[in-house]
Amino acid sequence: MNLISYIVRRLLLMILVLFGVTLIVFSTMMLLPPGMRVAAYVRSEKVTQEQMDSMIRKYGMNDPAPVQYVRWLGNILQGNFGYSSTAQEPVADAFKQYFPVTLELVLYTVPLIIFVGIWLGTIGAVHKDEPADHATRVFAIVGYSLPTFWLGLLLMMLLYGLLDIFPPGLLGNKLNDLINSPAYHEYTGVLTLDAILNWRWDVFFDALYHLFLPVFNLMLIQSATIMRLTRSSMLESLGQDYIRTALAKGVSRKIIIRRHARRNALLPVVTISGVLFATLMGGAVITETIFNRPGIGLWVARAAVLLDVPAVMFNALFLGVVFVAVNLVVDLIYAYVDPRIRLA
Amino acid sequence: MKPLVKTVDLHTNFYTFEGVVRALNGVSIVVNQGETYALVGESGCGKSVTVRSMMRIVQNPGKIEQGKILIFFNEADKDQGIDILNRSEAFMESLRGNDISMIFQEASASLNPVLSIAEQVGESFFAHRSGEMLASTIGTIEAELNEGRNFLVRFWRNFQLTMYRREAADLERFKGWMVDFDNRLYELEDSTEGASVRERNRIKAHRERYNRTGLLIRFVKKVPFLRRYYGRVRNTVKHEVIKLLTSLGIPNPANIADRFPHELSGGMQQRIVIAMALACNPILLIADEPTSNLDVTIQAQIVELIRKLKETVISSVLYITHDLGLVAEICDRVTVMYAGDTCETATVAEIFERPLHPYTEGLLKAVPKVDQEGALNTIPGNVPNLVHPPTGCRFHPRCPKAMDICSKQKPTPVEYSSGHTVSCHLYLPKENQA
Amino acid sequence: MSDATTFEEHQEVADRPPKKNMHPRLRELLFGLRRFVSNPLSVVGLVIIFFFAVVAIFAPLIAPPKNPANPYMMPHTGWETTPSPPSAAHPLGTLQQQYDILYGIVWGTRSAFAIGVAVVLANLIVGIILGVLAGYFGGAFDEIIMRITDVFFAIPFLIMAMALVVVIGRGLKAVVLVLIILNWPQYTRIIRSEILVIRDREFVQAARASGASHLRIMFQHIIPNSIYSVLILASLSVGVTVLNAAALSFLGLGSDTGYSDWGQMVSTARNWIVGPAGARLAYWYVVFIPGFAIALFVLGWNLLGDAARDVFDPKQRRK
Repeated sequence: MNLISYIVRRLLLMILVLFGVTLIVFSTMMLLPPGMRVAAYVRSEKVTQEQMDSMIRKYGMNDPAPVQYVRWLGNILQGNFGYSSTAQEPVADAFKQYFPVTLELVLYTVPLIIFVGIWLGTIGAVHKDEPADHATRVFAIVGYSLPTFWLGLLLMMLLYGLLDIFPPGLLGNKLNDLINSPAYHEYTGVLTLDAILNWRWDVFFDALYHLFLPVFNLMLIQSATIMRLTRSSMLESLGQDYIRTALAKGVSRKIIIRRHARRNALLPVVTISGVLFATLMGGAVITETIFNRPGIGLWVARAAVLLDVPAVMFNALFLGVVFVAVNLVVDLIYAYVDPRIRLA
Repeated sequence: MKPLVKTVDLHTNFYTFEGVVRALNGVSIVVNQGETYALVGESGCGKSVTVRSMMRIVQNPGKIEQGKILIFFNEADKDQGIDILNRSEAFMESLRGNDISMIFQEASASLNPVLSIAEQVGESFFAHRSGEMLASTIGTIEAELNEGRNFLVRFWRNFQLTMYRREAADLERFKGWMVDFDNRLYELEDSTEGASVRERNRIKAHRERYNRTGLLIRFVKKVPFLRRYYGRVRNTVKHEVIKLLTSLGIPNPANIADRFPHELSGGMQQRIVIAMALACNPILLIADEPTSNLDVTIQAQIVELIRKLKETVISSVLYITHDLGLVAEICDRVTVMYAGDTCETATVAEIFERPLHPYTEGLLKAVPKVDQEGALNTIPGNVPNLVHPPTGCRFHPRCPKAMDICSKQKPTPVEYSSGHTVSCHLYLPKENQA
Repeated sequence: MSDATTFEEHQEVADRPPKKNMHPRLRELLFGLRRFVSNPLSVVGLVIIFFFAVVAIFAPLIAPPKNPANPYMMPHTGWETTPSPPSAAHPLGTLQQQYDILYGIVWGTRSAFAIGVAVVLANLIVGIILGVLAGYFGGAFDEIIMRITDVFFAIPFLIMAMALVVVIGRGLKAVVLVLIILNWPQYTRIIRSEILVIRDREFVQAARASGASHLRIMFQHIIPNSIYSVLILASLSVGVTVLNAAALSFLGLGSDTGYSDWGQMVSTARNWIVGPAGARLAYWYVVFIPGFAIALFVLGWNLLGDAARDVFDPKQRRK
């Protein structure tokens, strides 16, 4: 019963925050001159000034801001997001095409990052000030300091450039032709999943092969954050009185770490993992750019450079929604793990 | 009186950023069998550190540097005792909560906020009584084995039974190993030659690497759905927990068992902590200021509960307190501690009638009386910072009877009369002071 | 950072005579500084930042600009696209279009400091003012500010930054402005939560009871006691800020080609990760050097920030 009212409260807050996100995205857009905003409705490259002016009038780009906001919101609620000049198709269609690529990267990367981060963080906390701890801390601080793009470029230079392994892209050329042939059925757009559904293991393994470097690159850098957080919150919970109580009960060290210390320590880690997931859903912009994976990140990066406003704004909005949704999930996990919240 | 636990010249330090806190400076105390014993002193004088050292649960950055902790639990070691500082961590785990257990001050902080009461109290049973728990679960399943008509139900029960029997067998084997290791350690015990010390450390390290259960059980416990087989044992344990809570006079135990700590009142939390300590009928119960932060009425209830348990279940109780009234009421013997030193040990009657150490006198005078007039008597000054402890007798800067020698030399304990020991230069023969 | 010191080291710290008659806050600071310099990692961080500071200050001497009116533009000799390797004329080689890497690194140090310090300082000021007001007075103002930070926490950082830069117009100034706009909520939140704790502490209540004015309470009691956590955040976020700015530059949203900015310099490196057959690593200097400068700079700040947290964060220190 309490849980339900908790969820309802969270949902209401979520709607409020979503409203704020749309306001921010909209006001950002309003900073642009009407000519650039109307580009959302332009579908061809060559437009004369007169056509432009008539379109500005037609779409009411000079109306008062609140009127435009309501109209814009109405458009969005009807699924009308405008036209992306980068992708040369409507934003919604482009999104459908790019999203699975990003989703695939996220689905492989995030669990790995969380696992590695928690594992190393636990080691660091349990063996505080021993060599293992120092090693993980050095790993963390270096990972924290490396620019993602630089590490990616170095990895590419050494592995792809020098050794000619782990090429960029999604698939090798031959298999690329194959998956575009009518014999291959595209179910979800997520390559490895489709490969299994088509029972083409060569595609599956080649997709994994191409995934390796981007995943590895993201993991090296992102797991540092989770590791540091796990370590410090593990240290904090290991110093709590209830750990001493458990010790005095004769519970073994392993169980104390797993059951008493880590369970409490993971609460902040859940939050960060949620943020990480949401951020990566926005396309690991840099990683996708470097490893040439046509996902949301690559699309947005190109759109930003080419001033493709509808694409950038749509993705900002989409990610805002993802963030809010993820936060809701995080809150639910909190409520599940911590009875103090569940029953409050 | 036979001793039960004895510490000899115990030194414990804390390595903090401000420097080394020398929390214990050679503490020697004896808890006898069947007695209620009290450690008394101001806050921060090392009482808690002493008992934590006795259980070897001094947390980082603390470290036991020197001394011995002898236990006299088994018939075999009635004379010499076992020095638990030499024993492996696994040995300590089998001791803690089973033979020696502890009640902490601040029950609310001592309970893990995210685990239910049943889970937390049950941990003691899982740690020390898993054999019995398994056996009784196997018994109940065997009884209902032929009841189920459904094929799936019967299959599931058989699976559970197989797993439980396997685990019980694993446990027996594990116990065998542990006994074996302990015997080998025991033989090597008193030898201090390099080779045997190394052998001892090797065995100790080796012992900790052993798992209670075999690979199969550990694997199945990680498989989703399959691992649910263990629920039956959990039920048995929960049943035991409820029985335990009932025996402690906790109202509505089945309901309480499913609650979480923050839903209970302070007095109830303290009872839960006591339940955890008593789960496995310990020989020695250490109560570390069990009633601080509680209402006076609840305090009385808790004290009464411990006193009753002392008569029925536990052999000895070690109280840590600064409440001298409590000491007078329920304890047999008492040791007064100051800044990591033991000042004076005597029976309660002796201490109150004939306090020898100036610190004990000060403490006794500081207790307000009903017919008191004028200001309270206090001991001037504060407990010293133990990073820079006073030299010699650590009490001398605050001592009204301090002499020259007090700042130079640490007084050795002297037996003033039978059973009454004091560490103070006032009572040392003069020739020793030279 | 580590407290696994030997007994003797502890002794050494412990045996220094405690200074009397010193303001306790000053003593606290000195104590912290002493621990700060006794920690090898923080010293490494200090050395790195000091090195970069020297480079930034003496940039005109190390790499004299050809056009003093616009020293941040990297000089280039010719329009040849292929980078040329390190030589006497170009000690670190050149980028494509023959931009001198050494010059770019040296003057880029100034850009990096400017970005990091400008963003963090601006955020500190905004964050402290809003956080203090929200935390100390509470009420509707607090509620509004906190809901705004909620929204800011719910928007995706990099994409929003890109969107804003697109809207404001590309360039380093836009990047700095955008980072300021997107980062202030963190500071505000931290200082507010810190103040909420301190506001109800006994010494503040005592000051209030003795009739001290709001301003006096704030400046005398609240800000000095809550400032450390913000300073720790600030020192940790210089590195992150520089990384984010570099990422935006890398994506082509920062400065123009030829401007001395490390991120911009790496962005051209993407074309040169594979050398010609037989010498696959021929252009390593294009890829390696500018990125290395960023990594080292950020590492220096992170080491400093980490050490500052270990030293000044009371929660971490007493353990």
